[in-house]
Amino acid sequence: MNNNENKIQSDNENRKIERDSTYWRSFEELNNTPEFQKSLQTEFMSSPLREESKHEGTEADGVARRDFLKLMGASIALTSAAGCIRRPVQKIVPYNKQPEEVTVGVSNWYTSSYFDGQEGLGLLVKSREGRPVHIQGNPKFPLNGTGASVKAQASLLGLYEPNRLQKPFRNLFNEKRTNKETVGVSWEELDAKVVESLKKGGVAILTGNISSPSTKAVISDFKAGFNADHYAWEPLSDDVASAQATSYGEAVVPGHRYDKAQMIVSIDADFLGTWGPTMTNNKRFADGRRNIDKMSRLVSFDSTYSLTGANADIRFKIKPSQQFDVVMGLIAEIAGKVSVSESVKTAVAPYNGIADKLGISSEAFKKVASDLVKNQGESIVVAGGIQTKTKDSLALQTAVNYLNSILGNDGKTVVAQAGNKNVTASYDQIKNLIKKMNAGDVKTLIIYRSNPFYSTSADLGFAEAIKKVSTVVFAGDKMDETAVNAHFIATDNHALETWGDTEFATGLYGIHQPLIRTMYDTRSFQLSLMTWAFMAKVGPKRIQEFETYYDYVRNLWKTELAAKVGGGKDFDAFWNGFLQDGFVGEVAAGSARTFKGDVASLKKTNSSDSAFELALYPTANIGDGTLANIGWLQELPDVVTKIVWDNYACVSLKTAEANKLREGDVIELTVGGKKLSLPTHIQPGLHDQVVAVAVGYGRTHAGDIAKGVGQNAYTLAQGDLLSGLPVEFKKTGDKIELVTTQGHDSMEGRQIVVTATNKDIEHKKDANIHRHHTWNIWSGHQYNGHKWGMAIDLNTCTGCSACMTACQSENNIHVVGKKYVMQGREMHWIRIDRYYTGDVESASAVFQPLMCQHCDNAPCETVCPVAATVHSSEGLNEMVYNRCVGTRYCSNNCPYKVRRFNWFNYAKLIEKPMHMHLNPEVGVRTRGVMEKCTFCVQRIKEGKNKAKMEERPLKDGDIKVACEAACPTQTIVFGDLNDENSRVAKVFKSEPRAYELLEEWYAKPSVRYQSKIKNNDEVTAKKGADHA
Amino acid sequence: MLTKFRSTVCAAIGLSFTVFFLSSCLFQNPNGGERPGIGYNKGYAPDQPIAFSHELHVGTHKIQCQYCHNQVERSKSSNIPALSTCMNCHQQVAGKPGDEAVAGHKNTDEIKKLRDAYNDGKSIEWVRVHMLPDHVAFNHQAHVGKGVSCQTCHGEIEKMAKVTQFSDLSMGWCVNCHRQPENKAPLNCTTCHH
Repeated sequence: MNNNENKIQSDNENRKIERDSTYWRSFEELNNTPEFQKSLQTEFMSSPLREESKHEGTEADGVARRDFLKLMGASIALTSAAGCIRRPVQKIVPYNKQPEEVTVGVSNWYTSSYFDGQEGLGLLVKSREGRPVHIQGNPKFPLNGTGASVKAQASLLGLYEPNRLQKPFRNLFNEKRTNKETVGVSWEELDAKVVESLKKGGVAILTGNISSPSTKAVISDFKAGFNADHYAWEPLSDDVASAQATSYGEAVVPGHRYDKAQMIVSIDADFLGTWGPTMTNNKRFADGRRNIDKMSRLVSFDSTYSLTGANADIRFKIKPSQQFDVVMGLIAEIAGKVSVSESVKTAVAPYNGIADKLGISSEAFKKVASDLVKNQGESIVVAGGIQTKTKDSLALQTAVNYLNSILGNDGKTVVAQAGNKNVTASYDQIKNLIKKMNAGDVKTLIIYRSNPFYSTSADLGFAEAIKKVSTVVFAGDKMDETAVNAHFIATDNHALETWGDTEFATGLYGIHQPLIRTMYDTRSFQLSLMTWAFMAKVGPKRIQEFETYYDYVRNLWKTELAAKVGGGKDFDAFWNGFLQDGFVGEVAAGSARTFKGDVASLKKTNSSDSAFELALYPTANIGDGTLANIGWLQELPDVVTKIVWDNYACVSLKTAEANKLREGDVIELTVGGKKLSLPTHIQPGLHDQVVAVAVGYGRTHAGDIAKGVGQNAYTLAQGDLLSGLPVEFKKTGDKIELVTTQGHDSMEGRQIVVTATNKDIEHKKDANIHRHHTWNIWSGHQYNGHKWGMAIDLNTCTGCSACMTACQSENNIHVVGKKYVMQGREMHWIRIDRYYTGDVESASAVFQPLMCQHCDNAPCETVCPVAATVHSSEGLNEMVYNRCVGTRYCSNNCPYKVRRFNWFNYAKLIEKPMHMHLNPEVGVRTRGVMEKCTFCVQRIKEGKNKAKMEERPLKDGDIKVACEAACPTQTIVFGDLNDENSRVAKVFKSEPRAYELLEEWYAKPSVRYQSKIKNNDEVTAKKGADHA
Repeated sequence: MLTKFRSTVCAAIGLSFTVFFLSSCLFQNPNGGERPGIGYNKGYAPDQPIAFSHELHVGTHKIQCQYCHNQVERSKSSNIPALSTCMNCHQQVAGKPGDEAVAGHKNTDEIKKLRDAYNDGKSIEWVRVHMLPDHVAFNHQAHVGKGVSCQTCHGEIEKMAKVTQFSDLSMGWCVNCHRQPENKAPLNCTTCHH
């Protein structure tokens, strides 16, 4: 007996897995702590059975199991009793008049568009029986193509949010506006009161960026009528457009052709995650890297750990005050190699050899400069985002413009003519408005979809100034932080209820179609303006004559815009074509402009002396905070940190060690006298003197979901400065547990992600892939018809997470909340694993989307006691929910950790009318059921059925699974492996970079990955055969 | 010790009840007997808000099924026709006074119900006869496209004055057909469950 025990123990020791620490996902894993080891032993981080057994004392497992049986017995008895009774009567209520376009059970797709103030997207929206249920990119749209950002997709939920306002309101304030009563009003009453106030003059309108030509026309008509002023401001505004105006004469955010660039240098511009048209950028960036023999190189100077930094071939950590130094340093380096005026040479002379001062290897810095010189006309230097909103913001942008001009990039890779003139909102404009309000010149202020009470700091003075305005009218759909301070709330429609149009690049127009009639007693902002102009009988004829905004939009197109882009077609034909395609016009070609700015006199004003600098940044999912009340976005792990449901103060490991901070320790930040307490997150690869905090959290009036999530970091800003501010912090002694999806689901250090460098693959395309010799003990399946498979190219995956939201929307995946994610119960069918590589100080990152691998020899199938997970004749690993009894053996036996268990009946918690977003094609799983990726079997069926009805064979690309359809970079390819010519079969057969996950286990997954290539001119050190 | 004993007894009682329930359900389920299987609704024929007779419309007047259920060829669900479809004929046809398509229901009264609802912009709340559980996805289009006649599953609808559930719609009944090699029908679980 004793001998046996000893033997087992020594066997266990022998079997202990050799760990490979090249890739790591958390500090616990990197250091292989006992906690981490323990977490690996347990598949489920918690279990009600295990918790119960704790209380029962000695006979731990036995009691728990018996209770389990008891519970089982009771539930079987209940179900069988219920089974003998006829289910409740269901009613079928047909249409009174059959709408021509509706076939019950068949979805319609409509073209539309989305604009969140920063980014515009051409979309396709899926509608079932008149209600929108899914949003994806419009593949024909020249900018974003298939890509649809997580925010655009999740905006669908906003339509059905229970917290939406359903009618107009009025706030009755006391004299000092310290107390109020909110009452509902009728539109007639509201209109009468507002018009009365408008007639008194002193009208101002505050909006965000407006990308719609029609909305702009309405506003300008309204301005003409009431002699009003219009101010455009976005909380995430930077100085790109203003600097373009001073450098070249026109305020525009240029179109960046990352696909045409060989060398991209980003100074804190998170163009893949949060800055500019991210989906377009992702697409273009991936296009420039698809051919591994002629890949572009991305160099990132990063003060937060941004998604762009994570994707960089070479990443330098800097602090915000060094941004300007970096650009001037680059100019100084290349000054001798390209023609530069003497005055500039003198001006940049002090920046010679700046790299050492920045803590960057001067050799690497010189190489960046020489790469830029080598790729003149084929490089991009870009800076932007609120991370650059330091005192030197404008100077930084001017220097960047100059650099692009002398490198010959302007007109080639930086194309102003294809840029967006509609994203020129700035802090200067809101400052002007505040000045006017303080002077008492504003009597009526109309605020449209802007939330300055939340997203400005107190010292900008908005809240004080607005007290001098006698009537504040708010047009939005929530009783948000600003709405509670307005006299009238002219409740706006949701975007999916409104007509409109867009112009995301000069000369390229998109349509914005509504998908549903207004659900409540709401009215679009544009129609409100039209109504008020009509009632006051002011403004041009066209603002007064139309009864609906749709008529206005159509008229504007008929009389003005169609002539520009219609090509002389009959208007009705043109309009129908416009609705059909979703866009007209094209992205203009560029030509170089003359740089008129003054580089010689640029001076740095921000000192780099403070011990710590603040860097505020938006996250890819929450953005400026407008959509904070959407559960999908809160539960989506941050693209880099993988933390959910919180914001936090990121510090480097060294800083944390020096200040005895551990993950989750609350620190109190002090910025210019303002304080904010936040939990610490230790971020690898962060500059030691940076404290980075995400904005967009800490909403108090966004709704029930956003309430209590994180802290409002906008309050730390100093007026229009959001970055590079000196910050102090001290430990408070409290602790807030930060919830990440990354600590568990470990793959035990085997060959999971493979990276190689451009040098590695020069001679051997499959460099660093370790091939295993495998043999079969199974007889194998026969696949005579289709055999579905997927190929994922890690080299183009940027980790943008659009696929995760697409999957969540398509497959009715529940949001479980912070508490349960903490217990490892998140439900996402597809996840993006982020692996750090290298040392903690300069960690770089790799992303890997992971979903059910649909193994041919699936380990889950063999252990299911009730055959609830079985193999299909087309190679799918099927999950039959109604058979599942919830043993979770399958999940225990899954080597990829992709199965998800319904611990509760989450569907029951969906508040009406939120249930209307559910996809009727996919069942809603109940408590006690295992679920996982199905390869979108409903889409496979739909595609097959369509081909059959059209009596043709299925073509490659007919079936697009949800993640594939949302991916901006075409990283995910789905298809039939039995079709030799399909894209996926070609990857399986002949792509040298392709490999299977855990090949040595011979599960034979139907998913293959292609290794990630870093274009950094390094050679990967040879590793021993240290992994299994 | 006592608690443990008690929980064992509870579990034992629970289990024996389960066995009892299951077995009683099984014993009452003779295949092909008069009574439908437990939990299935073969023979279910609820009263409808309008006593619509398929016997009259299909049997006597020989109206094609797809005239009213016109989406069955292009959708997974077969539609109950919109009132506007009924009114195509009933704009003119008001029913002969005294006629009864369904015993006890005057045609004129029933048609009036339809016309009133149509004119008021309302609908008719039909009681669903054929009901599959939510976890089953049946596709009319695929079956009709293959040439399966409506009567195969719905019975002799042309003889029904009041619609009755003809098949038991059990999984065994579905699979029986799918298993026949000549039908070349898929047998994967996800064919119906996803």
